[in-house]
Amino acid sequence: MLNIDQGAITENKLEGVRSLYDRHAAKLLGYIFNVVKDRKLAEEYLVSIFCEVSNQFDDLDWDGSWCQLQRFAKHKLLVFVDTAEYINLGNGEGLNVHHSREPYFGQLTKEQKHIFSSVYYYGKTIAAISIDLDKTEDSIRKTLKEAFAIMRKSGEN
Amino acid sequence: MKIKEYIESGILEAYVLGSASEAETQELMYLKELHPQIQSALYHLEVDIERMAEYMAIKPPPDIWFKLENDINELVKRPAAEQLSVSSNPRKERGSRRKEYIDVDSKSSHMRVHKIWRWILIAIFILGKIFLGFAIFFYLENRQIKEEISNLKSELKQLKTEIKR
Repeated sequence: MLNIDQGAITENKLEGVRSLYDRHAAKLLGYIFNVVKDRKLAEEYLVSIFCEVSNQFDDLDWDGSWCQLQRFAKHKLLVFVDTAEYINLGNGEGLNVHHSREPYFGQLTKEQKHIFSSVYYYGKTIAAISIDLDKTEDSIRKTLKEAFAIMRKSGEN
Repeated sequence: MKIKEYIESGILEAYVLGSASEAETQELMYLKELHPQIQSALYHLEVDIERMAEYMAIKPPPDIWFKLENDINELVKRPAAEQLSVSSNPRKERGSRRKEYIDVDSKSSHMRVHKIWRWILIAIFILGKIFLGFAIFFYLENRQIKEEISNLKSELKQLKTEIKR
């Protein structure tokens, strides 16, 4: 009886993970690739992140949204970001994210790109960026908002 | 509080991108319930970020799902205590990150090795084949020489008998 229940639970969990995978795997792989800059490694991280999702499927209240999955993935990728691959964060050299889709990023200024990449790809807090750039947190938030607005406009065109 | 100013402050963007502090997140969650404008702005930002992610999407190879399915099934088979436990709070400060990783002492029959071993094993295999080739070559050559020596010996004997006559 226990085995049957266990099987049913596993089946449900797999279905849930599969549904998340179908909806978001391509987006997540694109996101991870922009962090690790290596296709093979990005695929390995994709598998490992979805394994973690499956592990914590019942504990986390998954709403199935991309933003929730992206934040979860970012947290897992911080291990990578903390390692030698990301040694030059302080001076900005580590933030040369390979924006293969220039229409979205091409119109951003260097500072906007830096702030957006630091937050979106490398999980830096507004407070940490404000210390790095010697600017107020409010101005960092404003720049982030501007970057977002420019990218939204670029995406609509 | 002026809601328009709050929306314009960039806190919503910081939250959607996962860099808002705990206090900012709590405040936002509270205000979101009170003000539909904030809820709507947040929803639109989430749609935007998803659209951007779609634009940068890379289709995973078809075998990735099967690999993932196998890994998940393997994880399910393991007792719960052996499973990897990772903190579920995605918004912690960078300084506290190192403490979040737990040493895993699993009884899994599988082992992860460094990728360099793939090349070392390939080199060992190729060298093994080369040595085997040399061994066969020298064995055949040695056998041929022995045959030639025995032929020469028999010819020598024949010559000796002819000379004696």
